[in-house]
Amino acid sequence: MNNTKNCLLPRIVVCLDVDNGRVVKGTNFKQLRDMGDPVELAMAYEQQGADELVFLDISASNEKRPTALKLVTDIANHLSIPFTVGGGLKKLDDVKAFLDAGADKVALNTTAVLQPEIIDQTAKAYGSQCVVVAIDVNEEKDAHRLYINGGRKLIDRDFFSWTDEVASRGAGEILLTAMHKDGTGSGFDTALTKRISESVPVQVIASGGAKNEQHYLDAFNNGADACLAAGMFHSGDYTVGQVKQYLIDNGLSVRI
Amino acid sequence: MKRILIIDTQAGNLFSLNAAIGRLGFETCILQQPNDEKFDGIVIPGQGRFGTVMSSIKSRGWPDYLKAAFEQSIPMLGICVGMQVFFEASDEDPDATGLSWFKGKVEALDFPKKPMVGWASLISKVWNESIVYFVNSYAIRESELSIAQTVYGEKFCAAIQSGSLTGVQFHPEKSGEVGSQMIKAALTETASTKIALTKIIGK
Repeated sequence: MNNTKNCLLPRIVVCLDVDNGRVVKGTNFKQLRDMGDPVELAMAYEQQGADELVFLDISASNEKRPTALKLVTDIANHLSIPFTVGGGLKKLDDVKAFLDAGADKVALNTTAVLQPEIIDQTAKAYGSQCVVVAIDVNEEKDAHRLYINGGRKLIDRDFFSWTDEVASRGAGEILLTAMHKDGTGSGFDTALTKRISESVPVQVIASGGAKNEQHYLDAFNNGADACLAAGMFHSGDYTVGQVKQYLIDNGLSVRI
Repeated sequence: MKRILIIDTQAGNLFSLNAAIGRLGFETCILQQPNDEKFDGIVIPGQGRFGTVMSSIKSRGWPDYLKAAFEQSIPMLGICVGMQVFFEASDEDPDATGLSWFKGKVEALDFPKKPMVGWASLISKVWNESIVYFVNSYAIRESELSIAQTVYGEKFCAAIQSGSLTGVQFHPEKSGEVGSQMIKAALTETASTKIALTKIIGK
């Protein structure tokens, strides 16, 4: 083997939306008895070859917190691949509660923008590897705009300086969601992914716009360290394994 | 049923590790300090930073316990920082001293991005090109005990073996079925098998 060739492989991350202990935004796996059960679905994705899972909105409200924490422990007891939880983590105690319950990482989005010191605090207490900063960006008239609150609120903050800042504060990874690509099926924003991946010294997970296997190849060839998708896997149109086979057929090394 | 001791260094949750060992059909026991029970295997988990984990190990009487277990050839598995503590020191916490069973220092390596996060293939005669999950900013660059390497920016030591002790820089409890089999092997293979294996691969 060539000693200078990096052994680190591109990752495929599958995202599940969870509310009150159930997976929402339905999936279409015929082999599952209960498609709303996060643990069963997570294990199915692990079997398909997903490298990591992200559970979003798992913790959105305080009333649902005990259910969410129990679910996280349940997931940790069943999965043998890493998983991230995010959505609604508002303070350091929330972050601690989910990491102590068994999550490998937390994803911070709105809270990171409003209280950036939570990035430093989490990294100091648990290590940078636990901190994924999720960034929602929308391309508007040649400018990249930063959004919070699930993409509903524009923030007057320079997007590019924010990506630099989260890395310097101790984020371990950036989950970069291109809102202008989300739901279009036109592929990841490869130009933006490349720019961030090359300028910021942390792993970049591309998100938004994937519809087929070619989109993954394009993103990985443009500097994405990982790609995240939900719809194209939940719909049953593709398995993770099919996308990985395509990547292998096109010269990439991935985990199978 | 084999009973496995997981040392609780109080540096993070042990759900995944405990579950991974449980799925192998082993009974687990999590202890913060040594007791008189007999165990068939010992795991030093991979969470926390070098200095914190070392002070937890030292203050609770684990160094002598681990030495005695090693002399009795009880299978042991050190994961990530749980492997690093067997070396002399670490760039992560320069004031802390390791158990110093083995020569070498844990170093801040020249990774393209830090921390290294993700799945990487091994270069190993024991595990071939198995793909496992790494999460680290620091590692042992080289060791005479090395049984696996990987490359991220530079080549470094991904696993060591000495007698009944296996140490891995990666996280087998997060590495799917491959990792599960590595945990099983580390906690069941006898020391004599391992020594023979070490000799065969000539490290």
